[in-house]
Amino acid sequence: MNKNILAEELETYEKNKQNLLRDNRGKYVLIKGKEIINVFDTQADAVKVGIDKFGNSPFLVKKIQEVDTPQNFTSNHIKVSLPCHQ
Amino acid sequence: MPSVTLKSENLESEGPILEVHFLIPSELEKKYIEEKKPIPEPVIIKSLIDTGASACVIQKEIPEKLGLEPMGVTKINTPSSKEHECYQYFIRMVIPSHNLIYEGAFIAAPLEGQNISCLIGRDVLKSGILIYIGYANQFTLSLL
Repeated sequence: MNKNILAEELETYEKNKQNLLRDNRGKYVLIKGKEIINVFDTQADAVKVGIDKFGNSPFLVKKIQEVDTPQNFTSNHIKVSLPCHQ
Repeated sequence: MPSVTLKSENLESEGPILEVHFLIPSELEKKYIEEKKPIPEPVIIKSLIDTGASACVIQKEIPEKLGLEPMGVTKINTPSSKEHECYQYFIRMVIPSHNLIYEGAFIAAPLEGQNISCLIGRDVLKSGILIYIGYANQFTLSLL
């Protein structure tokens, strides 16, 4: 089984989620490894800083919210059977 | 507001399909130019405008061809699956002939059938206008 490329960043988010929710609910956090880089008003701003700092290497930009809402599709074009990292 | 208008004899059966170019994000392109790295060639594919898609989906191979790394993970629900995890990539989508540009997060997932490699979802449409004139087999997409 392949490891999720962003596993470490997602773990960092979960560890800090309550603090992030308290101070920055609805904003976007930029995380690299175990480090929270900063919080931004928009996803595009967070990605811009992420690319500027880390170039084309994996980093996490995540909306700070209590529950992550899945994206919904009515199309039969999408054929998923396994999570992306498997 | 830049816009593209297309006619299709098979609009009812195929839906609003258009050819788009995928490129690396503009910020990364600037960085590559500064670092004198080669810019990956655009990936040109057919996209379907899908009002039943809450977000954009691209064929998994597109970010691989552009050499991009993920910037997020999201869960997706489809008619045949629930809460599947997929990577998100920040990508620039362009229709060069009409100067339409959208830069944002795209979900990478396997897409099958009709040579469609991208679903353009409501996250793009929220900053645009879609006019679908069925009796004329014509549609127009405008983006801010």
